[in-house]
Amino acid sequence: MINANLWIGIFCGVLALFIYFMTRDLSMLGGIYVDFVLAAMGVLSIVMAIRGWMHPELIKIFSSKEEKNNVLIGVVILMVYLSILPVIGFLAASYIFYFCFNLYLADDRFGKANIVRSILLSGVVVTVFYVVFSQFLEVPLPESMWAE
Amino acid sequence: MLIDAALYGLLEVFIPSNMLFLFVGVFMGIVFGALPGLTATMGLALLVPFTFTMSPASGLIMLAGIYVGAMYGDAIPAILINTPGTPAAIATTFDGFPLSQKGMAQHALVAAAVASAFGSLVANLILAFAAPPLAKASLAFGPPEYFWLGIFGLTIISSLSAESMIKGFLAGTVGLLLSAVGMAPIGGDVRLTFGFPELQAGIALIVALIGFFCLPEILINVIGQRRATYTDKLIEPSLSVIGQVIKALFLHPILVFRSAIIGTIVGFAPGAGGNIASMVSYNEAKRWDKHPEEYGKGTIKGVAASEAANSAMAPGSLIPLLTLGIPGSPPAAVILGALMLHGMRPGADLFSIHAHVTFAFIMGLLVAAFMVSLIGSFGSFFFSRIINIPSRYLAPAIIFMTVLGSYAIRNNVLDIWIMFVFGIVGYVSSKLKFHPAPIVLGLILGPFIEEGLVQSMLAGRASGNVFAYMTLRPISLVLIALCVMSAVWPFFAKWKAVRRKEKEEQR
Repeated sequence: MINANLWIGIFCGVLALFIYFMTRDLSMLGGIYVDFVLAAMGVLSIVMAIRGWMHPELIKIFSSKEEKNNVLIGVVILMVYLSILPVIGFLAASYIFYFCFNLYLADDRFGKANIVRSILLSGVVVTVFYVVFSQFLEVPLPESMWAE
Repeated sequence: MLIDAALYGLLEVFIPSNMLFLFVGVFMGIVFGALPGLTATMGLALLVPFTFTMSPASGLIMLAGIYVGAMYGDAIPAILINTPGTPAAIATTFDGFPLSQKGMAQHALVAAAVASAFGSLVANLILAFAAPPLAKASLAFGPPEYFWLGIFGLTIISSLSAESMIKGFLAGTVGLLLSAVGMAPIGGDVRLTFGFPELQAGIALIVALIGFFCLPEILINVIGQRRATYTDKLIEPSLSVIGQVIKALFLHPILVFRSAIIGTIVGFAPGAGGNIASMVSYNEAKRWDKHPEEYGKGTIKGVAASEAANSAMAPGSLIPLLTLGIPGSPPAAVILGALMLHGMRPGADLFSIHAHVTFAFIMGLLVAAFMVSLIGSFGSFFFSRIINIPSRYLAPAIIFMTVLGSYAIRNNVLDIWIMFVFGIVGYVSSKLKFHPAPIVLGLILGPFIEEGLVQSMLAGRASGNVFAYMTLRPISLVLIALCVMSAVWPFFAKWKAVRRKEKEEQR
């Protein structure tokens, strides 16, 4: 359980301070808006933190350990997908991602039927996406770093 | 004379080949609007070269179809997967997605289609018959007016954050700060890029929208809670829903009409887009409704308010374009290019020498609105079933759309990572009841407010009194009054509700 208002106030206050010191070299024209926003943010952060301190609003981010594990594993899979995207390109990375993500979200994760279904779906869905976006709509897709 | 030209334009649209071009345009527009990352501007820009070989009337009729189609298409992902197809549909998510969660996706889709058509109809009639005087009014908007319009937009946070207004405004300042990333619009300072040259152009709005709205939904429901389908209830489309929704909207004519007028007015102020139109309209709909508590929990009134306004914005943005040559929105700028391509210059000539082509275009917009209502209403049978697909198959496909949508804007992998980071921030902030909608609102309005503020200060200094320049112009005064009213209204409404409750208890 965390005191949401207190932490939001502290986080935004620290962020405002950090940005304040980062932007001291700006010209008058470039800095006037930033200062205007930082002043508002600073005041609201202090009010928020005081409110959180006086009337704590306790919030649980994850309702169970299972939910926490699910989200963390899901985020790791997404990060791996995004990392390999510029290396092996959209098509190859997406085949792998769709297959893995489908297995991960299934109940009978490593059942033979599920593996076959995931491979087939991965092939069909990713190919359809590729054809529609790349060939039909001519939208550039992330390419492999080895592609010319 | 005007009526004759309008009738001639209508006849031109009803030529079978032109009707076919219009249908193709509307269909393409819906596709471009519905796919996050693809915009009406992109669709228009891609298809302008194809219209070169057509007659001017046919080419412009097809472009009208694309523009109107895209204005509706963006509502489809906003309603079904909480991801606005374009920034103009941001307010549609507020009630569209909760309706989907209740198993009423078809209601929301039909409401969006019908309201879009009505909004477009009202704005087109204004465009056809009152464009020249309105165009003059658009020139009265200077930097202080834009600044106050932006501040007025920010006051919407007070109604978006009923639980905690301080949290809402704090989130709004985070959005305003995010909008400062990149090169300053005036002065040219490079700010908060942290060494990434790609960030000099700022944070793309669609990337933030996808990150803050779409990814958290997948992380919470599909990955975290392992829900089998995207919604609590399966959608069972039925023909009777179309009649029910149309009847329900007819019971609220003022709501839809007011939204259409707001959309038209915001549209003809150059630079203000559909996102501001839909936000302002949603806020006004909630403020004047007898049951404001229904908004945000899934009401077709919220969807209708947003969609009528953003669809009305499209013809509205054409008013300064056709009369003065000032495009009111990015798609209008592409249409300006198409007009030039066909040898037509904006101004008085468009309504005299080229009146037959101009009115064919305007009537094309009008007929496209009806086409959208038909395609949207009957297409809702197909669209609404999409979220019945099990989430284990649908979620990875949605993730592809988020990745492609983020990448397509600038062909930049960094944008995909920004979307991902915003998704994680959106997930945590939603859990902490620090809702991302005000962050996105700040991001949308930031550039608008900054340009208005800095330009006003420069012009104010030149005139000798910055304060007087910013506050004493007639439109500024009206906008300041609206800002105060909008900010104070939630407190007044709360006080009124408490008083009503006390009176009832006394009885």
